[in-house]
Amino acid sequence: MNELNEIIHQPVRLRIMAALTALGPGEEVDFSYLRGLLDVTDGNLGAHLRKLEDSGYIAVNKTFVERKPRTFVAVTAAGRRVFKVHTDALKEILKSGKNN
Amino acid sequence: MQITSTEAEESLAAIRSMTQKMRRAAAGGGAHYFLILWGIIWFLGFLGSHFFTDDLAGYIWLALDILGGFSCWGISLWLSRRVHKTGDSVNGRRIGIFWASLFVYCGLTVWIARPPDGKQLAMLIVIFVMIGWMAMGLIFSLSIIKFAFFITALALSGYFLLPDFFYLWMALLGGGAMIGCGLFIRFKWKSA
Repeated sequence: MNELNEIIHQPVRLRIMAALTALGPGEEVDFSYLRGLLDVTDGNLGAHLRKLEDSGYIAVNKTFVERKPRTFVAVTAAGRRVFKVHTDALKEILKSGKNN
Repeated sequence: MQITSTEAEESLAAIRSMTQKMRRAAAGGGAHYFLILWGIIWFLGFLGSHFFTDDLAGYIWLALDILGGFSCWGISLWLSRRVHKTGDSVNGRRIGIFWASLFVYCGLTVWIARPPDGKQLAMLIVIFVMIGWMAMGLIFSLSIIKFAFFITALALSGYFLLPDFFYLWMALLGGGAMIGCGLFIRFKWKSA
């Protein structure tokens, strides 16, 4: 039986993880672009990203592109693993709910 | 942590929706910018070719193509900033050099071949622009390649089957189809 992950289950963090795991290996997304995709504020996204980064599920890469500071976000291998366990747990709950 | 099956269903739906949005944005989200841009350029350029003299139409095309090349560079630069691979070698300068080189080679081909009529010149430009699209498709989104094949086929069929109405064909069907496809992709992506 897979376990739900409390950090990931929060709605905004769940959507962040869903977005990041949809990217291919080695791909990372621009912070501003992710903010637009999720339709959240800078502060809100920043706080959720910190929480995920502290847990080791995502990596935040602050860099310079053509002399301008930019922040890119990517999911880590551990993040992919726990997200899969979390989604499997959700599917199991859904399946057992339908069987009852 | 305990949740109901309804909550689980809602969470899975949110995951599916976000995954689709990101995949579309990363893989095919950029195609519509190229389509709409070149759709407008073709619509205006080919209408100019139909209604004005060859000389005037040539100047209109020159201005539109330069504008299109620079705009493609800007769009490509912007797209490459949204989602990129770590250690990505694609950057704005290289894409800019590619488009500039393509126009130089197109100019050289026209200079050597000296096409005797405007329709041949138009087809040469169309083919070179589609080569550019192919390259952008290989970098950003394979869906751009499908459109490049489709537009090339449309242009060739107009060139060989309807030579008297070639410019109007290209303005309305070529340009119109590009704008339509671009808006369709944009709408589909937004509603995903």
